[in-house]
Formats: sequence, structure tokens, C-alpha cells
Amino acid sequence: MAEVKELVKQLTRKEQEIRELIKADIPWEPVGPTPMPEIPDLRSWDMRLLKTYAPWYAPFCDLCCLCTYGKCDLSQGRRGACGLDIATQQGRIILLACLMGCSAHAAHAGHILEFLIEKHGPDKKIDLGPFVDLEAPNIRTVTGLKPETLGDLKIAIEYVYREIAHLLDSTHTGQEGAALDYESKALHASMLDHVGMEVADIAQIVGFDFPTSVADTPLVDMGWNSIDKSKPVILLVGHNPATSCTLIDYLRENDLYDKVEVAGICCTALETTRYSDRAKIVGPLSRQLFFVRTGIADVIMTDEQCIRTDMPIEADKVDSRVIACLDKAMYGLEEASDREVDGLVKEMVEDKKHFAILDPKKAAEVAAKVAMEIAPQRRKEWIAEEEAIELAKKCTNCGMCERVCPNLFSIGDGITELAKGNLDLIRQQFNLCIGCGKCEQECPNDVPIFKIMQIAASKETWKIRAGRGAVMDTEIRNVGAPITLGTIPGVLAFVGCSNYPDIDDVADMVYEFAKRKYIVVLTGCAAMVAGMKKFEDGKTVYELFPPDFDAGGVVNVGSCVSNAHITGAAIKIANIFAALPLRANYEVMADYVLNRVGACGIAWGAMSQKAASIGTGCNRLGIPVVLGPHSSKYRRLYLSRNEEDDWRVMDARKREIVDSGEPSPEHLAYAAETKEKAMVMIPKLCIRKNDTPQGRSIKLNHYVSLYKKYMGGGLPEDLHLFVRRDADIPLVYKKEVRAYLQQIGWQPKEPVGLPTLIGTYPSKVPLDAVIH
Amino acid sequence: MSAVIPLHRVNVLTGIKSARVIEDAAQYANLLEKAKRPLLVLGPLLSEWSLDGKLAIEYAEEIAKAANIPICATAHVKGKMVELGMKPDSVYDAVEIVNHLKDPEWQGVRKEGNHDLVIFFGIRSDLEEQCLSVLKHFAFNHLITMTLDKYYFPNANYSLPNFKREKQWKAFLESLIDSLKKGD
Repeated sequence: MAEVKELVKQLTRKEQEIRELIKADIPWEPVGPTPMPEIPDLRSWDMRLLKTYAPWYAPFCDLCCLCTYGKCDLSQGRRGACGLDIATQQGRIILLACLMGCSAHAAHAGHILEFLIEKHGPDKKIDLGPFVDLEAPNIRTVTGLKPETLGDLKIAIEYVYREIAHLLDSTHTGQEGAALDYESKALHASMLDHVGMEVADIAQIVGFDFPTSVADTPLVDMGWNSIDKSKPVILLVGHNPATSCTLIDYLRENDLYDKVEVAGICCTALETTRYSDRAKIVGPLSRQLFFVRTGIADVIMTDEQCIRTDMPIEADKVDSRVIACLDKAMYGLEEASDREVDGLVKEMVEDKKHFAILDPKKAAEVAAKVAMEIAPQRRKEWIAEEEAIELAKKCTNCGMCERVCPNLFSIGDGITELAKGNLDLIRQQFNLCIGCGKCEQECPNDVPIFKIMQIAASKETWKIRAGRGAVMDTEIRNVGAPITLGTIPGVLAFVGCSNYPDIDDVADMVYEFAKRKYIVVLTGCAAMVAGMKKFEDGKTVYELFPPDFDAGGVVNVGSCVSNAHITGAAIKIANIFAALPLRANYEVMADYVLNRVGACGIAWGAMSQKAASIGTGCNRLGIPVVLGPHSSKYRRLYLSRNEEDDWRVMDARKREIVDSGEPSPEHLAYAAETKEKAMVMIPKLCIRKNDTPQGRSIKLNHYVSLYKKYMGGGLPEDLHLFVRRDADIPLVYKKEVRAYLQQIGWQPKEPVGLPTLIGTYPSKVPLDAVIH
Repeated sequence: MSAVIPLHRVNVLTGIKSARVIEDAAQYANLLEKAKRPLLVLGPLLSEWSLDGKLAIEYAEEIAKAANIPICATAHVKGKMVELGMKPDSVYDAVEIVNHLKDPEWQGVRKEGNHDLVIFFGIRSDLEEQCLSVLKHFAFNHLITMTLDKYYFPNANYSLPNFKREKQWKAFLESLIDSLKKGD
């Protein structure tokens, strides 16, 4: 008995600690049921999701090799020496992937926060401008804290760190033993990822004065040809803007900004253009090795995430110099943060040395001075066509390149054609190339494939809109009703890496859906490649469509960490439009989004662990995600089985459980085989039970017309599942659909008045909490 | 027998149990004929692959007809099939049909009970190999998996080898069709 009392006392103390951390006595909203949730707190919600959207496991490896009991063969029902089965091992691996992703963003957030607190002090106010009052929807919803200063953000990120430790602990041998519990933990880690990303981007917006409360951010230049090679060129690679913003400050302060070209690859490029619209974007991750190997960059400054891990080796090949600016990636280089600038410059210029310099100011000064000194000696140009054709003649098209290609195509075919003077195929293949360089490594004839492919690279310059940060509260007030009623057919978020399967795919999809008046938001490398294709009048999607979070808008919110603004926008719809309290009220927010907000993420070219956690974080919040075909290598999807699964929901108005019979949304994490299939699945995943007849009719109009366009005609095989009443049928297809429904014996069904999963599973949340 | 390395190295097996290579079309046909409820899952590459001017999808159709095997069309291959006058029995994406197949209680595309043998043909190889992995691990008690693409898939039960020349593959497909027709 005494032990029980002690336990109760401990829990109370713990709850009290949390209330102090989140400043619960500040009554901006009542504190909901799950402030700073720990692993078990949202487990029931996860299990409810996983009941309908069961994990689809595709093991990439039949063995477990993680401890010295192994290797253990887990195939055909076998368990490892520790007792683990193959499904649970997949859950464990996906949790590890999500933790890697979450850690990358959280550590980024922690670093940038320390840097900016050092610069501005912990009391620097968070002010995202006149149109963003709800500044931190993820932090507020998950933790219950309303951050008012940079110092407050530390409270949120320290909570994330604590949870990461517990989650990582569970992956140790002899811990968790159920696949579904690993999935719940992966969902938890990925929800935390969105908190970490939000911390990072709020800090960056406040600390670097990035754009906020504005839609019409500058259009900036993108592409190799946008870079003025006559100047010294400093290339920034990675994600953390402490390096790039400090470099720009240094150049400005020393009157060098006109004399030095600053270019970026991957998210750090996007961040740099949020700080200076004169900075240039080389392109996404897949262009990294190509550009580095041109040798155009005099100095390469790396920070963190998605950097080539052999950067100093590659730089040596072309006489570029590397400065590693963050402790995450130091490449075995001498740590020279405390050394004198002049000595470092001398050694980098004369001895061609690379250094790790973790002091951003010193790194900026060294980079600028080295670039200024070595640029005049730079004698590097794009390869000439004649030289490329000559080099291509070494290729015997033996096929070794295709064998190692992650995107499964034969560059040997393109090079063989090039040797005959035909550039068409290799130009097409450049769009398929993820830029890994494995083909060249494998080539038995030492064909310099990457050098040759320079002639295939487009020398065009494109326009991309600089990242604008959070969706404004005022925009949410305008679109909340049409989104939840369905008259805006969906909010689509194109996120993550962009490499696979064809770099043009993202631009094509953005164009198709923006034309159809979906709201399109973008981040990271996906935001870049969306702008790397020109449509009518030679314009990119950023020039063709308005930058507003409204029907037909194309909105670049920013870098990877800006993904938090996408989940944040979904939460804002529940809070601002539907007036549901969000404070420590995650289940209610997620339930609202799942059942009523027609949003869909598209991580089309995703390759990284960060993309895994970003997507899985969307899933916990009720946002389905469409992935590219290669993403089956993530090992896990969340799929339903259409008519055969449980589509019962609570109708909160009637207070009874009803069988909707409607698979909406049908899947939570889905790998589409082709772009064409994705074009059809995306509008379907925007269907919600809450749609009005007018909204449903609009959504089905797009579903049917895209099906006809990309699937070769006819009607979708599952159309009947989404037609509740005759009024749902799109006017233009009325006759055809009615005939089909009659043929299959379709019967009308009652739409669900106020659909919710609350009340269908054990939860602390009362049904009244979802009624607004 | 030494391990067969798949053409695409991303599909290299990390495990013990790998597909048995079948090079003899009659043996392949024999396995098909033994199955009670086989299924042919056809992917979009079949409308791109051409063997001496004849699309691979046309070979697939002949196989389906010769052995009376129902067809599941994945991705957007249905469009090409309709254009050629074919009608698939069902349309699912690759991951969706696999999700059904792994459930022994599923009633199959003809509602006659789940299939006991599935042939994959024409799906992007990394995705196809992952689909085969799902079935290898979670359907091994009730389902045999086979492939007809021109290269080796370790996660299948039975796979064609990595054919060095297309004419070898073409010869296999033609021989298989002949064998199935003879079995009528």
C-alpha cells in the first residue's frame, strides 16, 4: 500500500514539473490531456490509426545484425536469439530511421537556438509579424507551452531531447517486442520531429529576420548558369544557416558582397535566399556531386545533413577548398577554430588544406579570403561538346553502370548515343540521375561519366520564390471553411528530397494540381525542383501561380525545417477556423485533421531518414503521404484494405458509431508505382468524410478526370465507395457515373454529420471535446 | 550452387533463402499448371519493353489466356491494355495487391479464395523485389511467388535468370506460351 502511495506521489510531482515547464498558470487556453506527452500517452491514438492503416512491412534484409548473438535469420517465421521476429525488427528499424531524422532536425534546432541566443539573448521576443499570432502550433499542441522568447524555445527542444533518449533506449536488444509498439514509438518520434523543426524555423525567422507574415517573397535565381563564374565562388552545402548568414554578414560588413558569389545546394541554399535574395541556388541534393566536380566553387563550406561524406576527397580532385563548419561532419580534418585567420588562409591557399572551423565568424572570414586569393587562378569551365563526345567513345556499354544505379537506368546507353553525336538520351537521363557517382566508380573503362554529363546539364536559369515561413492566420481564416467543406479540393504538400524517379515529376504534379485550384505548399529540395521546369511563356510554377495559401496558390514555405509550418497550418485550421483548443490537445487536433482536413503530403523523391520522420509525423497528425516507388525501401507503409477494413466512425452529432463504408483517407503512407498513379491517388487521398455534397462533387470531379487522363479512360474501380448520394456525383460525369452505379447495384448512404474517431477507442478525450 | 547476384545491385539479398532459378519454360509451365488459383500481376514496364517489335504486355496476355490466369493491372498499365483490347480482372497498385495477397483469408480477384501462386511481371525492379519480400516473409505459408522479368529476383520463390541477351528472354516467353498451350 505504501508503495502505491509513493507511486501516486511521484506521478503528481512529475505532472507538476510539466505544468511548471509549460507555464500552465498562464491561462491562454486550458491545458489539455497530454502536456509534453511521453511514449504511452498517445499510444491509444496510434493503435486506433494502426488498426485501420496496418503496417505493410517489406524487409530490406532478412537478417538482424545488431548484436553479437547474430547474425540471426528472421525469415519464414523465425525469431532471433533475443526473441524478435521480422515484423518487429522492421518496426525497430523504422523507429531508428525516424529517430535519425528527428535528431537531425532537433540537433539543428538546438545548435541554431544556442547560436541565436548568444547573438540576441534568451529574452528576444518571438514576433512573426502582424498576421501570425499562432506562432507555434506544433509546440503549443504537443507540449502545451506558448513560447514567447527564444529562451522558451529551449524548453521545447529539451523536451524533445529527453524523449529521443527514451525512444532510442527502446531499440536496444532485449527491449520492445511488438511491431505495433515500435510503430507507436516511431509516430511519437516523428511528432517530436515537427516540434524540433518548428523550434528551428521560428528561431531562424526571429534571429535572422527571415521573411514572415508575407506571401509575396522575392523570386530568386536558381541553376548553374545563374552563378557568375568570373567572381570568387563560395558554395554552401547542407541545412544550417548559421554558416551562410554569418558569411553574408561578413561580406556585407567588409564591402565584399559585390565581389564574391555565394551559392548553395540543398536546404542551406533556401535558407540563404531567405536572408539575401542575391544569393544563388545551384539546385537540389542530386546536383551536389555534379557541381562540386566542375570545380567552379573555390571554397566549399559544409554544415550539416545531406552533404557528400567524401567532400574533401572530391574537393581535392578539382582544387576546391573545404571548410567544415559544424561538428556533425568534420571529415577527420584538423579542428582549427582557435587558430589565427592568416595562418589558416595561407595553408589553405598554398598547401591546399581543408579545415574544420566551428566558429562561424572565423569560418566566414577564412572562406572569403581564400576564395578571393585562389579564384584568379581557377581555370575551370564546363566541358565542350567535342571533348565530351571524344571521352564517350571509351564506353563499351558493358552495363556495369546500370547494375549499380539506384534509379535503375543505363547511363551507358546515353553515353553510347553521345559518342555518335546524339545528345538527346543523355539529356533525358540527366533528369533521372540522383548524382551518387556509383556508375563512374564501377566503370571498368574509367569513363569520366560525371564530367561528360556536364554537357547534358541544363544551362538554364529558373526562378524560385524565397521561402516565406508560416502560413498566416489571416489566410487560414479565409480558407478554413472551403477546405473543410471540400470546395477547395485539397492542400498538397510537396516535401523532401527530389531525386527519384524523374526530377521533372514534382513540377508536373505541382502544375497539374495548382491549375485545378488545389493549394500547393512546398519545402526543401522539392521546392527547388518544382521551379526547375518551364511551362507556358517560359515561366516556372512560381511565376505562373500566386504565392498565396489559397486555391491555386503555390507556396514555398522554406527549407526542411519549414515542414513544421505545413503540419502547423493543418493544426491552425482546427484551432483558428474550428475554434478547437489546441493546448496539449494532440488527439483532438489529429482527429480533426484526419477526418476533416483534405490534406495530402507528397514525398516523391524521398531518400533520407529525415523524410521518414517528416512523413511519419504527418501520419500521426492524420495527414496521408504519397511516396515514390523506391520508397518501398523504407521498409514500411501504412495501408488500408479498402472495402475490407473498418471504416466505422463516431458521428459526434448523433453520438453513435456508424459504418461510413468509406475509405477516406484510404492510406496513410503509400508508395505509388508511377507519377501517373500518384496523380490519381493524390486527389483520392484528399477526400474526407466531412465533405459537403458540393465539396465531394468537386473532389470526385478531379479524381475522375485525372483517372481518365492518366489511367487510360473509364471510371475508377472504387468510385462507388466515395459517392454517398446522387448530389456527390460531379455534374460533368453525371450520366456516366449514374449508369455505372446502377450497374453495380450501388445504394445511397447517409453522410456522417460530424465524423470522429474519438469514442471508438479508449481515450482520455471526451466526445464533447471534438464538438465545436 | 553459388548465389545468383541480381542485375540491379540494390536488390542484392541480405539473407539465406533466395529464389530458385528456372530456365526451362516447361518446368515453369508445370508449376503454373499445378497451381489452383494463380494470379498474374502486370506492371507498367510491360508497355515499354519491346521484343523485336512485340510489346511484353502482349506476351503477358498470351500467357494469361493460355493458362486462364486472371490479371491484376498495376499503376497505369490498364490504359495500354484497354488500348490493345485487353481487360484486366482487377486494378490495384503493386503495394495494394501485395497487401491483399498476404492475407490468407482474402478471396482473390475472382472472389474464389486467395491465390496460391502469383507471377510478377513488369514492375520497376526495386519495388518488385520489395513486394516479393513482403510475400516471402508474410505469405510463405500460402503463396508461391514467381517472376517473368528478364532478370533475377532473389526474394521470389522462382525467378528467371539474368538473361544476357533479349533473344534468350524472348525464346523463354515463347516457349512458355507453347508449353501452356500444349497443356490445354
